[in-house]
Amino acid sequence: MIYSESTRHYFEHPASAGAATGVDWFRGEAGSRERGIWVQFDLQVPSADRGGTVRSVRFLAFACPHVVAVCQWLAEQAIGRPADVRLPESVQAVRARFEVPLEKLGRLLIVEDAWAAAAGAAILRRNA
Amino acid sequence: MPVTPAVRYLDYAATTPVAPEVALRMSECLSAHGEFGNPSSANHDFGIRAAGQVESARAQVAACVGAEPAEVVWTSGATEANNLAIFGIAHYYRGSGKHIVTARTEHKSVLDCCRELERRGWQVTYLTPGPEGVLEPEQIAEALLPQTVLVSVMHINNELGTIQDIAAIAAVCARSHQARLHVDAAQSVGKIRLDFASLGVDLLSLSAHKAYGPKGAGALVVCRRRAVQLAPLMHGGGQERSLRPGTIATHQVVGMGAAFALAHAESPGETERLRALRERLWQGLGALGGVWRNGDPLRSVPHILNVSFEGVEGESLVADVGVRIAVSTGSACTSAQREPSYVLRALGRDERLAESSLRFSLGRYSSSADVDAAIDAMTRSVKRLRGISGA
Repeated sequence: MIYSESTRHYFEHPASAGAATGVDWFRGEAGSRERGIWVQFDLQVPSADRGGTVRSVRFLAFACPHVVAVCQWLAEQAIGRPADVRLPESVQAVRARFEVPLEKLGRLLIVEDAWAAAAGAAILRRNA
Repeated sequence: MPVTPAVRYLDYAATTPVAPEVALRMSECLSAHGEFGNPSSANHDFGIRAAGQVESARAQVAACVGAEPAEVVWTSGATEANNLAIFGIAHYYRGSGKHIVTARTEHKSVLDCCRELERRGWQVTYLTPGPEGVLEPEQIAEALLPQTVLVSVMHINNELGTIQDIAAIAAVCARSHQARLHVDAAQSVGKIRLDFASLGVDLLSLSAHKAYGPKGAGALVVCRRRAVQLAPLMHGGGQERSLRPGTIATHQVVGMGAAFALAHAESPGETERLRALRERLWQGLGALGGVWRNGDPLRSVPHILNVSFEGVEGESLVADVGVRIAVSTGSACTSAQREPSYVLRALGRDERLAESSLRFSLGRYSSSADVDAAIDAMTRSVKRLRGISGA
């Protein structure tokens, strides 16, 4: 398979890969390894920050290069912004950005689900 | 092997480069100063000289596999040879029966022929080899029916390297009154000694480009002693006893003949050299942990190693190592579909492990430096991807 330059770049440099836990960390995951794609996000949203700003993101992905690249890009985009269950761009726009084949659209929805689960947990704590 | 400076080639089971000696012989058949004539033009010297080259090549191929030159029918490759064998037998003997026996782990060019025959009313029994890819002769015996006209089994599995016991399978087929045995030997030449005359095989498919010959050349060896008959797939000329009409590509078959002559002369030391390189590769990969060797190492050709890697996603693995080493996932013909290897799935590997399996295949120009580079590339990629996936 031929990958776009962006996909190749983010896939080869997943600086945010990993996991983190702690009092200000919120986790969300989706998919399953058995089904061939699994994604987990850990978002650090300090409780002292009234605006719920994301300070750091870590992710794990048992997934294809497109998904790994999108996860890394998301991790970079989220820092400094308020936690939001929505992606910075629509799934279709992300698909176009990384030239993800149409048959992989379902994989991007799993990324979106994992992201929404992590961000949702952070928002829930903020609103509590 | 100078493919590109950065990428090491470990995909010799997919194809091999044309040997320099072979390329030279081929080029001599192309230009005005060489044997460019039509080998069917028996009325002038150009054609006669070209025909002589074609027959010399036929003798070289026959000698390499222990057959008679008259038993060699030129084709465009092993895929066409498989088509000619399967459809040729099925149609010629359709009055005797419409049952075929084959294995789930055969090459697509055999399986797709069988599926097409099923659509046309034939019955096909697909056998499942044992977990290491070995087909037991008893399985063939149990599958044979009075109306079985063909058994098609590959000599060496292209993904695993597993060697089937063709002589034993042939003995089983011989007990049937009409089942002919076709063997796809595309991966065999230069790797394991073949003796068509003593194996008891009726039809043997051969490929040039797996043995340092050109792509687009192959042959079907048809046993004359047992008077095997075939219905042709194409019509339009009398070449190749009307089994494969069309002007013979002199340069292609001369290249195949030269490549097979080189393979025939290759020393047994080359087999041991490749086996040692393969085991060095396996030792290096095994150190990673969570790796599985697919196939039976005691019954495999020396140059193929198929390994599954736990905890890494298949497509990412291929994408990551592909910038450093050239290897295959599944067979080359099905890789574009990004489906787990049907061969490994047929042998019971789970879908995830089958997806994260790679075939490494070594060849004449492989070196210990290539193997060490592959170990290094795989170690880096597997560790990196396991880190990303949290495995």
